[in-house]
Amino acid sequence: MSPIDRRFVVSANWPLLVLALAIFAVGVLNLYSASGFRMGEELSLQAFFNRQVLWGSCGLFAMLLVVLVDYKHLASAAWPLFFVTILLLLLVLVAGKSVSGARRWLIFGGVNFQPSELAKFAVLILGAKLLARRTEKLGWIELLAIVGIGMAPAFLVVVEPDLGTGLNILLLLFGLILYRGISGPVFKTLLVAVPILLPCGWFLLKPYQKQRILTLLDPEKDPLGSGYHIIQSRIAIGSGQMWGKGFLEGTQSQLRYLPEKHTDFALAVFAEEWGFVGCIVLLVLFCLFLLQIYATARTAKDRFGSYLAAGVFFYFFWQILINMGMVLGIMPVVGIPLPFISYGGSATIVNYCLVGIVLNVSMRRFVFKKS
Amino acid sequence: MRFESETQHAPRSGLILLQVMVFALFCLFTLRFWYLQVHKGEQFAQKALDNQMRQVLIDSARGRVRDLGGRPVAVSEPSFALGLVREDCEDVEATLAKVAEWTGADPAALMEIYKRGKKRVKPFEPLILVTDLSYEALARIEANDIFWPGLEIVVRQKRHYPEGPLMAHILGYVAEANEEELEKNPALSLGDSVGKQGLELTREDWLRGAKGKKQVEVDALGRQHNEQVLVEPRAGNNITLTIDLDLQHLCAGLLEGQAGAVVVLDPDTGRLLALVSQPAYDNNLFVLGVPQDKWSELRDNPMHPIQNRTTQGLYPPGSVFKLLVAAAGLSEGFCTYADGVVCTGEYQVGNRKFHCWKKGGHGYVDLRRALVHSCDVYFYKLGERMGMDRINAYAKACGFGVPTGVDLPHEKAGLIPSRDWKKKRFGEAWTRGETLNASIGQGYVLVSPLQVARYLGALVNGGKLLKPSLVLDEEPTVQGILPLADEHRRFLLETMVDTVEGGTARRLLRPDARIGGKTGTAQVVKLINADQRRKAADMPYKYRDHAWLASFGEKDGKRYVVVVLVEHGGHGGEVAGPIVKAVYDRLFGPAPGKPAQAEPAIQQLEAGD
Repeated sequence: MSPIDRRFVVSANWPLLVLALAIFAVGVLNLYSASGFRMGEELSLQAFFNRQVLWGSCGLFAMLLVVLVDYKHLASAAWPLFFVTILLLLLVLVAGKSVSGARRWLIFGGVNFQPSELAKFAVLILGAKLLARRTEKLGWIELLAIVGIGMAPAFLVVVEPDLGTGLNILLLLFGLILYRGISGPVFKTLLVAVPILLPCGWFLLKPYQKQRILTLLDPEKDPLGSGYHIIQSRIAIGSGQMWGKGFLEGTQSQLRYLPEKHTDFALAVFAEEWGFVGCIVLLVLFCLFLLQIYATARTAKDRFGSYLAAGVFFYFFWQILINMGMVLGIMPVVGIPLPFISYGGSATIVNYCLVGIVLNVSMRRFVFKKS
Repeated sequence: MRFESETQHAPRSGLILLQVMVFALFCLFTLRFWYLQVHKGEQFAQKALDNQMRQVLIDSARGRVRDLGGRPVAVSEPSFALGLVREDCEDVEATLAKVAEWTGADPAALMEIYKRGKKRVKPFEPLILVTDLSYEALARIEANDIFWPGLEIVVRQKRHYPEGPLMAHILGYVAEANEEELEKNPALSLGDSVGKQGLELTREDWLRGAKGKKQVEVDALGRQHNEQVLVEPRAGNNITLTIDLDLQHLCAGLLEGQAGAVVVLDPDTGRLLALVSQPAYDNNLFVLGVPQDKWSELRDNPMHPIQNRTTQGLYPPGSVFKLLVAAAGLSEGFCTYADGVVCTGEYQVGNRKFHCWKKGGHGYVDLRRALVHSCDVYFYKLGERMGMDRINAYAKACGFGVPTGVDLPHEKAGLIPSRDWKKKRFGEAWTRGETLNASIGQGYVLVSPLQVARYLGALVNGGKLLKPSLVLDEEPTVQGILPLADEHRRFLLETMVDTVEGGTARRLLRPDARIGGKTGTAQVVKLINADQRRKAADMPYKYRDHAWLASFGEKDGKRYVVVVLVEHGGHGGEVAGPIVKAVYDRLFGPAPGKPAQAEPAIQQLEAGD
């Protein structure tokens, strides 16, 4: 079977790719504006915009590679990939390169590599494989086994420390569990137990994390300290009003009031310049994007494919929810980027690879299976 | 082979979950965007504008002060200060340490300034850390401040007094506003200079002007991009003084090395042509904050250089007071020109003898002779007839015991005692002897040189008590009319002329001008009797008498009042005489006639009071 079959082309989820490219285009355009800041009368650009275009190209190339290999091989690679990831995560804790207090990087012959990115794939594939084995709702044993498998890499990522990625991995797995469904008694028990246990988690948080949650409740208490991000972000978004200030006209971003405007707070730059109308357009694009992933999950030719697509769905869903919630000031500040909008090399490549996995599932849904 | 596309592999509930989640996501954020951007959009737009637009104050130039001839005596020069905009500063401690390194300032002191300023200065306004930067420090800062966000070089005005000590008591000085002044005046910001002394204090509002306001677009690092002036600053008003710098200089030179005061007054307008208090201090020292050691030195100096002796120095007037007691006697009908007294050199009251300065007495004296020769016994008797309360009321009406209202701060009122006053002050009854002492300007009576000059001015100008003025534009202010008939007033002036022609102030005599004077010797230590009086030179400095000479001069329609006081100068005519003479020589030109004529006068004067 040749890797590129006419069938593949017909059944591939083209709208998903188009939507991903559209959102990425919006993101690049927005980064162009976010890189600009005023120096006197001039507008000066930083290199983020160019680099993001480069990352996008790399991402598309990586996506192509992901598409070429039938996703069913991923299932057999799930366990080896998982153990390699765990090993690398342990290695990074011992021999990782430390950047501003966090050990996240491994260097292989001059190439920087973040094992935490690999962990996302490992958990996605292994989670999909394990959950797709059966159809009945999860009981205690299976649930604890899955959670345990997810916890190991997530824990190793959190101690790097990289709370954002760790959270991402856990939430992805959590989504997959919900997708499969939890059996009645277990669900009821959890429904009671979690709200009781959650406040206990408060005491496990580090002081700065508690601070972030408290700040969310009352950002004006420390307007130049921890409340600064939230206040300035809300001002930027709100001042966009209905129609926005116009492309390259955002004063909050260009006069540098907006923190992290290329990365976590890129949406605020967008909201300031494009207003409510622009934001709704972007939100609609994201929703359509998620619905396309949903469509692939629904029409996949097997359970593994469906779970893979659902995992990708949750990966993006949580990021959109948390990032938008944070930028809009209804969730604590956690370092989670907005897919395709925030600047970031590895995030862009990972995002395209995940889109690739969904495309992979979608294009092989009609392929005859040898019995 | 099996075609699987129609088979549902996805869990049903899971698929519903995904749909619900997308729906929820859409609804949640649509609402939130609506709330922030449409519902509250205008509020946030205003906040964005506030963020970006800052209102910054523009300093106004303080008014200049010139002397009568237009020579500058107080000017403002640009100086550079280093400010810190807190909002833009990333690491205050490191920045302050750097500033200390550049300027050589003490890091702890900088921290102190910073902490003090934090309460006053808005976070986006420069908090002034160091004033008057040297050019070396300025260069070092300019080269490096881009690496230290928040630091800002501020051009400010620095006050300079070209004449220094010569005008210090008149001008006073400006210095950095303290907490209290900042509290009182909201227009002041930390680091601003305000008048602390002298005219700089009393004319503060006139000199200061009003700050302007500009709106600047500022980025989050505090860099300013566009600016627009909203309110133009209004420069302070200038002042031209009535003081003639040359005359002031002459007077200061004449008092050099002594402690004392010279007042030169135009009696018809109340304008002060010279107002000298010696010793003086350099007011430039105070502008940038006087160092502690210098300040202690000035404060503890036994000669009190900070005190303005013309308005704050209080002295017993001595015989000069007889001009007032005589006026009171004439006005209230307690004496006439013709009434005579035989002076035997002493006057017995109870068991105490009051002496005349002239041992052996003056013999028969009428009022004119009593004034010209300054007979104490005549005035003992006159004062006793009038009683202290009457003298007190009259003296108050003539401007003694009340401030002159001159435009200088912390003026002292002086003291004219009364029976009530003594009762309140000491809880004791007034005694007859005290009336006698007061009648010759001793005892409790205290006056300032400026009060004497004002009184003399009123005698000369027809009886108007004028506010002594320092500012040229000021219209003369009549504060009161002497309760004295013109005839009596002229009589008093005549006796003063006689005093110059044949009494205790002969040194002042010059043929081309009409000059009148009255000397006074104010005892510092109460002496039991005249026998104990010794030559000034034989006594320790602080026990020596104060020397007064109050005079007026008239030539070619120009009239002046010159009052000189020399602390511990000994007899009035001896020390104060040459000073007053030199002043008239300047005012009227050198006296014609042989200089030798003046010589015998000195010997005659030696005994005179």
